[in-house]
Amino acid sequence: MTLSTMLSTMAAGMGRTCGVFILTLIGSLPLGMIVALLRKSRFALVRIIIRAYISVIRGTPLMLQLLVWYFGPYYLFGWSIRGWRFPALILGFILNYAAYFAEIYRGGIESIPVGQHEAAEVLGYTKAQTFMRIILPQVIKRIMPSVTNEVITLVKDTSLAFTLAYQEVFSLAKQISASQTSFMPFVIAGVFYFVANYIVAFAMERIEKALDYYK
Amino acid sequence: MILEMNHIRKHFDDLDVLKDISFGVDSGEVVSIIGPSGSGKSTLLRCATFLEKIDGGEILYMGEKAAYTDESGNAVYVHHQQLRHFRSYCGLVFQQFNLFPHYTVLRNLTDAPIHVQHREREEAEATAMELLGKMGIKDKALAYPYQLSGGQQQRVAIARALAMRPEILFFDEPTSALDPELTGEVLKVIRQLAEEKMTMVVVTHEMPFAKAVSNRVIFMAGGVIVEQGDPLKVFDDPQEERTKQFLQVFER
Repeated sequence: MTLSTMLSTMAAGMGRTCGVFILTLIGSLPLGMIVALLRKSRFALVRIIIRAYISVIRGTPLMLQLLVWYFGPYYLFGWSIRGWRFPALILGFILNYAAYFAEIYRGGIESIPVGQHEAAEVLGYTKAQTFMRIILPQVIKRIMPSVTNEVITLVKDTSLAFTLAYQEVFSLAKQISASQTSFMPFVIAGVFYFVANYIVAFAMERIEKALDYYK
Repeated sequence: MILEMNHIRKHFDDLDVLKDISFGVDSGEVVSIIGPSGSGKSTLLRCATFLEKIDGGEILYMGEKAAYTDESGNAVYVHHQQLRHFRSYCGLVFQQFNLFPHYTVLRNLTDAPIHVQHREREEAEATAMELLGKMGIKDKALAYPYQLSGGQQQRVAIARALAMRPEILFFDEPTSALDPELTGEVLKVIRQLAEEKMTMVVVTHEMPFAKAVSNRVIFMAGGVIVEQGDPLKVFDDPQEERTKQFLQVFER
């Protein structure tokens, strides 16, 4: 295998890695907010379910969760899991990251001084307006560093997709390395991950800077 | 009467903070509430502005009942849609300003008029600029709150409350978070509003200010109104022992 075929095969794998990364963010960033808000629901049952969900997700390895989502339907219900690989993968990632984002959001929401809520209440804002116009923008600014951390971790965590034999860049690196008895695929994978994270860090820094117009 | 509060009771856990408080505010009147800390002054303002719920008594704005006590002795509030209508009667200026840090000064003043009262942007902005002019901070319209001094921030907060065109404006120790040299500029603004016959209730520790500006002084201690009346009389010839004790502290 020439270096260029190796590179192009792995670049295709990197494309799938990016796919997992982007789909996970699209799903988990908003879902995390819903989870964070439900965690403070006025219904005790909802709060208990959400807390249990967060606790289980944070208390077990992501790799194990992916295996459960993929094989669970077969072992539990005897369902066919043909074509279920990719959906299970994305579901596992989204539910995992939503739990972590929810905790970051919750910390951010709770850090906003009670005076902001009171000022909005006296001015007649509805609860929804208060959240969307007054609280959320301040929360986003405060949680950016923690979100950046999570997003960078996600880039690297996508390699766990190899557990379900999904052909992303890390799975391919392992396969090609074994078949070609070459160390090169790992070097290429490392460079791919590093560059991806460099771009992510750069983008996040730009967003943080853009939010720097107030203190 | 703009505001009437009758037989207000409020407790936090075992602590009775307000014990049967009754008072009213007439249009154009400036009422100062003084008293030691923990006497229930701030809680009274927070009940009047619906930030806290009363346990008993009644609250009336413009003669309409916002809260009352039912037969079983519990305080009942009107439906929350109607409560929003009552909220629109009152403005509140906080000790800690509580400006919205992510909005410019101008937007702090126009956001609620536009999105809560559904007023036209041009009109809301014109009103805001006029108010900022009155507060002497027109040049700060596009600044963010963190760029202002405490005194300027508090004047923005007063303007933000006025932009909603309230019938009555409440102040919860508006100068307590300010350096002494910044206190004057805020008091000057309140004094100016008093001259324009803005109805105001001011919880304050600034005795000379309370004496000079208000039409009536209420002295609260231990959750009750100990004494009230003409400021000259309350300050210079207090009738109650508790009032004398409290005022002596300020005569040095």
